Amino acid sequence: MPARALGHGLGARETKPPATYRNVMPRDTIVRMTAPESESLSDDALLGRYAAGDASAARVLVDRLAPRVLRLATRLLQDRAEAEDVTQEALLRLWQIAPRWEAGGAQPSTWLHRVAVNLATDRLRRRRGVDFDSIDEPDDPAPAAVETMIEDDRRRALDQALASLPERQRVAVVLRHLEGMTNPEIGAAMGIGVEAVESLTARGKRRLAQLLQGRRDELGYDR
Amino acid sequence: MTTDRRTDEAGGFDESLLDALFAEARDEVPAPLPQAFEARLVAAARAAQPGAAAPRPGWLARVRAMLADVGGAPSLAGMGVAGLAGVWIGFAAPGSTSDLVTTFWQGAASVSPSVSDWAAPASDEALALGDLLTLIGDDTQ
Repeated sequence: MPARALGHGLGARETKPPATYRNVMPRDTIVRMTAPESESLSDDALLGRYAAGDASAARVLVDRLAPRVLRLATRLLQDRAEAEDVTQEALLRLWQIAPRWEAGGAQPSTWLHRVAVNLATDRLRRRRGVDFDSIDEPDDPAPAAVETMIEDDRRRALDQALASLPERQRVAVVLRHLEGMTNPEIGAAMGIGVEAVESLTARGKRRLAQLLQGRRDELGYDR
Repeated sequence: MTTDRRTDEAGGFDESLLDALFAEARDEVPAPLPQAFEARLVAAARAAQPGAAAPRPGWLARVRAMLADVGGAPSLAGMGVAGLAGVWIGFAAPGSTSDLVTTFWQGAASVSPSVSDWAAPASDEALALGDLLTLIGDDTQ
């Protein structure tokens, strides 16, 4: 099933024989860093330090990576508690793969976001009780008004509008336009074809425009 | 900001305006984590850290583990009773085994501890068995 393909891709990546940090940093070489030193390192290097036993690297990575993952999961799931669970689970998988992480390959942040997307879409499937792609969503209903919009805060307005979208449209739009994933990647994550992704994205954008209609002045878009 | 090209006649958002919103949202720095959630994530990270030394168990845990090796608390009670019995026997210094047995079983006073007394009837039985074999031998001849 395509939905599993992305997950399997990640799984396969986890099991690759790696040129790991173990090769360049022996396990018993526990390096302690000062805070400014650790903050100047790349995510890759920090993950290597973490794998080598440096406890301070974990905090820097959490502060650097987790907020974006939490925001993504919240946008997809529209449930803060579930989003925190997904963030914690995705990070746990990163910690587990750290000793086998290939330096110079994929960025930990990119990998982490893909894992979070898979975990979130799995939860959405379970929430629906059936396959994510097996239920037709109703055609675009009349747009609901975006209530309690905070003036001069476009991102909040966008988040509110996204929350009002039907679930699959929201996921497709978030992954395409906020995460920058390709349509085949989104199709794999959602278990649908590329054409369905394009349709969902187009409908989602159309509805977003309707939801935000008449708000351009409020959002600072002058005529 | 001139956005006429990005808005439609109805005053809504056209695609380019939405794309601008998406771009802003992508670039926006996310809010920092709530402190409690951050602490939870860091604790989970350290728990999963390779080579993280397991915390040394306290003395009570070590005693419990030692007890578990010999069967747990019930076995400690058994060992205690046996030890106390040993101490009591040491201090009381009972004179002979027969006195000690008599203390617990009054009927033991009538039992002779002498081996010869026990062996005598056995020799009688052995004699009777010899006679019986002789008789059987006579019959078969």
